[in-house]
Parts: sequence; structure tokens; C-alpha cells
Amino acid sequence: MSRRAAISAPDAPVLVTGATGFLGARVVASLMEHGFSDVRCLARPSSDLERLEAVMRAHHVDVIRGNLLSPDDCERAVRDVAVIYHLAAGTGEKSFADAFLNSVVTTRNLLDAARGSAHLKRFVSISSFAVYTNRDARSRRRLDELCAVEDRPELRGEAYCFAKARQDALVGEYGKARGIPYVLVRPGVVYGPGVTGITRRIGSGAFGIFLHLGGSNVIPLTYVDNCAEAIVLAGIRNGVDGEALNVVDDDLPTSRQFLRLYKTHVRAFRSIPVPRPASYALCALWEAYSAWSEGQLPPVFNRRAWHAYWKGNAYTNAKAKRLLGWTPRVPTAEGLRRYFESLRERGPRVA
Amino acid sequence: MSLRVAIVGCGKIADSHVAQIRRIPGCEVVGVCDREPLMARQLADRFGIARRFEDVGELLAEVVPDVVHITTPPQSHFEVARRCLEHGCHLYVEKPFTLNAGEAEELIALAERRRRRLTVGHDAQFSHAARRMRELVRGGYLGDPVVHMESYYGYDLGNATYARAFLRDPDHWVRKLPAGLLQNVISHGIARIAEFLGGDRAHVIAHGFVSPRLRSLGAEDVYDELRVFIVDERQTTASFTFSSAARPILNHFRMFGSKNGLVVDERQQTVVKLRGAAFKSYAEQFVPPIVFATQYLANTAHNARLFLANDFHMDSGKKHLIAGLYRSIVEGSPAPIPSREIVMTARIMDSIFEQLGDSASLAWRKEGVSC
Repeated sequence: MSRRAAISAPDAPVLVTGATGFLGARVVASLMEHGFSDVRCLARPSSDLERLEAVMRAHHVDVIRGNLLSPDDCERAVRDVAVIYHLAAGTGEKSFADAFLNSVVTTRNLLDAARGSAHLKRFVSISSFAVYTNRDARSRRRLDELCAVEDRPELRGEAYCFAKARQDALVGEYGKARGIPYVLVRPGVVYGPGVTGITRRIGSGAFGIFLHLGGSNVIPLTYVDNCAEAIVLAGIRNGVDGEALNVVDDDLPTSRQFLRLYKTHVRAFRSIPVPRPASYALCALWEAYSAWSEGQLPPVFNRRAWHAYWKGNAYTNAKAKRLLGWTPRVPTAEGLRRYFESLRERGPRVA
Repeated sequence: MSLRVAIVGCGKIADSHVAQIRRIPGCEVVGVCDREPLMARQLADRFGIARRFEDVGELLAEVVPDVVHITTPPQSHFEVARRCLEHGCHLYVEKPFTLNAGEAEELIALAERRRRRLTVGHDAQFSHAARRMRELVRGGYLGDPVVHMESYYGYDLGNATYARAFLRDPDHWVRKLPAGLLQNVISHGIARIAEFLGGDRAHVIAHGFVSPRLRSLGAEDVYDELRVFIVDERQTTASFTFSSAARPILNHFRMFGSKNGLVVDERQQTVVKLRGAAFKSYAEQFVPPIVFATQYLANTAHNARLFLANDFHMDSGKKHLIAGLYRSIVEGSPAPIPSREIVMTARIMDSIFEQLGDSASLAWRKEGVSC
């Protein structure tokens, strides 16, 4: 039990950023399930509290309106907290600058505010599998947290990857130079009721027809409730400071299996399977044309993206299980059933 | 052409500036500046730019750029531009040029005193389609004078989540502009009218309101619908329509002269000629559709040729505007956008915002009463 002991008591104040989001709201709910009674959420004035309402009906949640771009708001939010769960991030849908501003600058502000706190016991920064490069990993190999992170994330052509890689680096710098105890949690593809698109690891509908790029690759899914619990545990378990932890479920489907289930249970649509050598060739040609044409087509398909998403590597969750005592409580079959049911009710969107 | 360029303001729009500057042979981005050092760093890192600064004064003193691109929020354009001009730099200022015509006139006067070139980021006027249209107008296709113009500028507020995020964030820099959303986006649509207006003044009648969609999202103070009527000293008239509600999202400019007309579709990059003379009898019902079909096919072929020639980038208008500015600096020729047009655009916008802000009828508009 001592090894599993919590670093802070359940009545210690904790802060959750991004609490109004798909994953953040589940983290707040999971904190409540773990007995935390003083949960503080920083939400932008523009944020909708809809996702938090179910939790707020049953528990007291302290919602502070503010913006992570404001150092004053950050100071106010972190005051006296023992654990910070930092989930807020830029999605990268608008631009590199926007993703960076809302992931890295905001994280810096939060870390600056936190470093003066004598109460802080852990800073849990939510990262992503998107930061892994996989370039040096053999196809089909199962990867752990030692997998290299993108050294030139700007070349991935993906603002989210760039921002998350820079955020991870910043958190590491603050941990080393300023002694902030941190954990990096890297979820795979978080899914569940509320997600409407299909991850690009499976394919892309950018050309008007769905190109199935994932083939027999195992898709690193993590059901939102499972992921939320792993995040909560990362904030309270002893002995994980400075660690990176992959969060991914067990018994995962291949891309082909997922697509078949999706078409059976949600909506039938036409897809074209693209074999792995062909997807590599597509990415290499696209990348070369983008460079030659000076960006007439943006480099959204490139070899770095292929290595990260379509090469066929799987990920292990052994470290998270070992260090956190975590296990995915919702089996993948049940998670997919709930997910597909919600899509049938709300209407799907193919990416 | 060899110019040393600096960027002040490292947000979203700065990316496209750096990307297009790098396409102009001999020109180099030598420094970037942002009050937020991390933002300056991310831009410099991604594009391999050697120097980055937090302070404009340090940038100007240490890098000594020939040209500065100002890509900060509009509230700071005037002050940053003034400092750069006083330091002897030529300027590319993102739209809107300034917050009002008074500031625009002051900057232009300073640039003239210092013999510096400046331009404003109305890059849509330098797209392939816009430049083809200009050639036709200069070649006399419309006849003289221009009788009437119609400028349609549609705006997609995005899905409800994005719209709500913008609307509920009072700290968003667009919300903090004196005339809000309209001030940030309408200058493209106004400037293409101003280019063809005569004289220095125009009579403006404006009517603005909140669309039902924004009302349903709880926004009572963000005008996203605007209709404007403009008359210049020569009785050339123009209408401007800005709408977030109308579908399709139009980005059209229509010109009618004494001989013929032209329709430019900025989104589709097409230029279509409207023949002034009618065909005889039933031919008017059968020949023009064939002529239009032929024109659209020709537009498709033209766009395909540009794409294959590697000159059909999303920001190709920006590249041609920047290249035009740089050429004017090196050759001492006039800047690509005349100062008169910059000021006229600012004056029309001032007049629109003045009417929206002070109109006695605003109250009933807000209450949703119509007659």
C-alpha cells in the first residue's frame, strides 16, 4: 500500500485546466470518484460548462473564470493547490502560432505561477502520442516511453505535434532547472461519446473519399474514462516524478477491424484501402512536391507523419500499469459499443 | 533585388508573410519581434530566422531592416509603424491599416516626408483574378466611367463552438477593436471599391445588424451583417454587402461600366466578362449561356496552368503585393497601393462605424423592430 500511497490527501486542493473539454470533464469526475473534495477548475470566460454540469450537480466544483494567457489569472488559479492537472491546450486547427500560444505560452504562465507555490506536489502535463517520431523503430515493434520524441516537430506539418513537443520540453526544463515535480502523461487516441471524427491513424477523407491508411495497424485507443483515471493517478501516486507515461487500453482493434465495426454499427461509407508501401510513397511524393512548390500544397502528408501514424507500431501501457497501479476499467469492446451508440444518436463525422 | 526584412508580431498571419517573402529571390527575413518571447522564438525556430526580439526598438537598432512587416493586432499598427518609419524603414502593414483615417493620413504623411514606401495588406486585390480584372479595366473593357460596383464579402464564423468562444471572450483582440469584428474584416471588401472611386471623399449610407444566428448564441453587440451604399464625387455608385449568414459565402466583386461588366469571384479565382450589348431576339436566351460556359472552362484551364506553373498558392496575392512593394522600394516607383486608396478605404470605414455607432435608429434595430 505504501508504494501506492497518495502524495496528497483527498481534501487537498487540486487544479484542473481544460476541465470543460471532452477529457477534462472526465478527469474532474474521476477526481470526485477518488474522493477529492476541493477541485478547482480554470475555465475561460468563453467556455461552456455543459460537459461539467453532470459532475457539478452531484459535487461541489469551484470554477474560476480566467485565461491561462493571463499571469494574474494563473497566480489566482494555482494558489495553495497541491496538484495541477494541466489539460488545456490548443488543438492546432487554426495555425501553428495558435496551437503554440494556447499550449506552450499558457503552460509557461502556469509553471511560472506554480513555481512560487510551497504547496505544489505535482504538475501533471498532458502530452500525446503525437510527439513520438518512430522513425528509428522497426515496423510492428511495440514501443514504450523510451521511443524518441520528434527532434524537428515543425517538419511534421502538424501544429498540434509541434506545440505538444515544445510543451513537453518546456515542462522538462522547468522540472530540471526550477525543481517543479512533474509527470508527462501521453494518451493515445482518446475516444468515447462526444468524439465525432475518425482519427487520422485510420485514414483521411480529405480527398472526398475515405483513404484507409491504417490497414492492419493496431490503433492506440484509450477510452475517455480509462484515460481520465490514469491522469488522476499520475497526479497522486508516489515515485513517478519526472516520468513520461503512455496511456493506452488493452485488447485494441486493428484499423481494419475498427473501420469494419464503424461501418456496421454507425454508418456505411466507401473507403479505399491504401497498402503501407503506397501510403509511404504518397507521403514521400507529397512532401517532395510541397517542398519543390514552396508550399503550394501544405505538407500535411510527409514521411515523418507516416512513421508516426501509419508505419504500424503499437504501444505498451506496462509502465503506467506498473507505476500507477492503473488498469483500463472499461474494456475496449464495451468502450467501442458506447462510442458507436453515441455516434448513432448524435451523428458521425468522417474526418 | 536584395532586401533585409523584419516581422513585428509573430501570430498566425506572420507565417504566411514569412512563407511568401521567402519566395521572392534575394529577400531575407533577418529578424522577428514579439512582446511574448516564446512567440518570437517559435516563428524563428520554424523558419530558421537568426534573430528574435521582444522590443521593436532593439529590433530596429540591431537588425537595421530595410522593410518591416507589421502583423500585430490593429490597435498597435499606428505606433509600431510610426517608430519604424522614423527609423527609416519601408512598411507593409497588415489590414486594417490603422484604427481610423486620421492615423492613416498621419502615417502616409510621415512616409512621404521620410521618402519611404508603405502598403497595406489588401492582398486579395493582387490575386490572379484581381490582377486580370485590373488589366481589363485599364484596357478600357468597361468603358469610361465606372458606373456601379458591387462588393460581396461573406464571412464564415465557423461552428457554434468557435463562434461562442469568440463571442464570450471579451478579451479577444478583435472584440477590443472600437468597431469589433467589422473593423477587422471589411477592409478587403471596401478597398476594392475604393480603388475605382474618384476624388477624395465619398457619401456613405450604412446599415448594420446582428444576424439571427449570433442572436441565438447570445451576442447582442457584435454586428455581423452590414449593407453599405457609396457614392463618389463623379456619381459612381457602389454597394457593399458583408454577411456571415448568407450562403454561399461570397467573395465577389462586380463592376459595371458604360460598355460592359465584369464579375470576379475571389474564392474560385474566376473572371467573367458581361457583354454590354444584347443578342438579337431568341439568341439572347441561347448564346450567352454558351459564352458563359466557355468562359468558365477558360478560367478552369487558366487556373490549372497557374497551378502547374507553381504559381497558385493560397497566398499568391500576398506574394504579388509584397513583390510589388519591394520593387517600388528598389526601383523608386510608386507603391502598389496608392496612398489615396488607403485613405479612402479608411474614410469609408470611419463613416460606416460612425453611422453604426451613433445612428438614432440603432435602438429599434437592436430590439428587432422592423418597418
